[in-house]
Amino acid sequence: MLPMARSILNGLVQITRSSRGAAFHTSSLMGCKAADTESNNTGDNADTDADATESSTQSSVPDVNDRTKVIPVESSIRYLKSAAYKQTYGDGFVWSQYRRNHKGMYAPRKTRKTCIRQGKISTGNPCPICRDEYLVLDHRNTELIDQFISPHSGEVLSYSKTGLCQKSHLRLLVAVQRARDYGLLTYDVPFREYDYSEYYGQPKQKQQKS
Amino acid sequence: MSLFRHIRSLNALQILRPGRRHLSTASLQYDQDPQPLFTDAETQSLLQSMTQLQLDKVFRKRTVPDNSTEMKFMTPDQLEKEFVQAIEKARHLLQMPPIVKVKVDTERLISKDAALKDFASTKYVFTDITYGLPQSERKVVVRESDGTLAYANLETVKRMNQLYFPLEGRKSYIPRMFTDEELLKSALDTHKYEFILDRATVQYEPYEPEFHNILSRVFEHLNESKQFDLLRSTRHFGPMAFFYAWHRCIDDLLYDMIRRDYLHNAAELIALSYKIHKIPLDYRSTLEQISALRSTPAEKALEDLRNSIQAPEERQRVGGIEQEIHLAIGKTENDFASDEICLKFIEQYIASEHALKKVQLELAIQTLKEVNLEKLQLFKGLKKAHGVNVN
Repeated sequence: MLPMARSILNGLVQITRSSRGAAFHTSSLMGCKAADTESNNTGDNADTDADATESSTQSSVPDVNDRTKVIPVESSIRYLKSAAYKQTYGDGFVWSQYRRNHKGMYAPRKTRKTCIRQGKISTGNPCPICRDEYLVLDHRNTELIDQFISPHSGEVLSYSKTGLCQKSHLRLLVAVQRARDYGLLTYDVPFREYDYSEYYGQPKQKQQKS
Repeated sequence: MSLFRHIRSLNALQILRPGRRHLSTASLQYDQDPQPLFTDAETQSLLQSMTQLQLDKVFRKRTVPDNSTEMKFMTPDQLEKEFVQAIEKARHLLQMPPIVKVKVDTERLISKDAALKDFASTKYVFTDITYGLPQSERKVVVRESDGTLAYANLETVKRMNQLYFPLEGRKSYIPRMFTDEELLKSALDTHKYEFILDRATVQYEPYEPEFHNILSRVFEHLNESKQFDLLRSTRHFGPMAFFYAWHRCIDDLLYDMIRRDYLHNAAELIALSYKIHKIPLDYRSTLEQISALRSTPAEKALEDLRNSIQAPEERQRVGGIEQEIHLAIGKTENDFASDEICLKFIEQYIASEHALKKVQLELAIQTLKEVNLEKLQLFKGLKKAHGVNVN
């Protein structure tokens, strides 16, 4: 009895996992085809009514562009360690596969102001943070913040390199400052040179005399 | 008007307090002024020797905005000069933060002018910003709103100094890490010892009680986690060894040193604790013997630097097969001789009543002895095989 129950549970877990992974993919890749995906979703719902789990997960994500739901940092931290994350980004950084869309040879100097307007993704090519709703910029999420810090200079990477929208970039800067203040993120502290005579000038002179 | 002032003063108190309230104090504190013993020339040389000088660690790649490297062609003479300079720089980077007693704030009144009462609703702080004055001599005075003129307290002096002559890396507010118990604990549990200590040295002055508290907290935690190697060859190793010797808890550090085969350091640590607690045992003769056989960390580092640029063939031509053997074993005859002296000294310490973890230390000594004996046999065998005479 017990092994049977376990196998059923495993199957369920796998189904939910794979559907979640797929949801991430759609959120990251198909942001531009908002209308299409919506029509697809409804069509799918009609087709796979029999499959209870599938339809329930899809109905809970009615609109891939909707960003009104607040994702807690804890789940974001868990997501960064999950297989779904690994499948989506591999070993690279969150921003390394992102390319900006622009006309002409040169990208505009600044990235767009924001990707999310009125609780919805308002662009076809949202920035690396905005496209995946489970990436939450917070000082506790050090694993994510670390990806935006140069290993050579210790500075926060520019948005011209990472492609973050201005709003996300500001959020990133705040998160980095906080993480450093809280001691969650280490950095090389400037060397402090001590002038010993300032702290024990008098006794040393005495010692030299005696 | 006075009500406002009252509210403001209450607010100021509330801002000041939380930091000190949350951080629990460490159990071990310096009960006397540790400074005379710490600045003593003998203590300093012992601490420096214990710190060691690993160039890889001192000159590790730092993540600072400008960490560019420069490449040059040099003659051997220039290279030699550069080596000496590099060692000098490394020694400078290992400068230990001073250990002084906590400074007590004293109120020093200059004058009390009742006529100036309510002249202004706020305090006035006057700072002498003459160029080139050391921080401790800078005069800061405060005119209170009730007309008294007095020297500013230490906190105000520090803030004024930071305002006019900012120290790089010091924040005008105290980092959350140092005010929140939880955060400091999580940082300690992830073994970010060097980071915490570096930050504390920049943020605080050595005579502040918070500085003492944080240092004690870190060293106590380190004594439990036993990750002493994280601080080896950093500027904080000396103060750490001094702290343990002062508070009679050197045994864990001693065990670590024996296990890593730093016997001369272990002997120095024991000598330091004898010196601090004025235990009537002769350690000076042992130290002299060891120092005669061993070179100082700086000399050793310089030697390593010189050897590192030699090609293998050249090395053989210069040092012969003997040096090859030394490199292979990692020890020379002098090292073996000094190890023997150290072992005798350490065993004497373990047998005495000052050692607390006798069994553990004895076991460590026993295993080390066996390893050393094997090395010595190999050393002698190699020398014999190559026809180098063994003394």
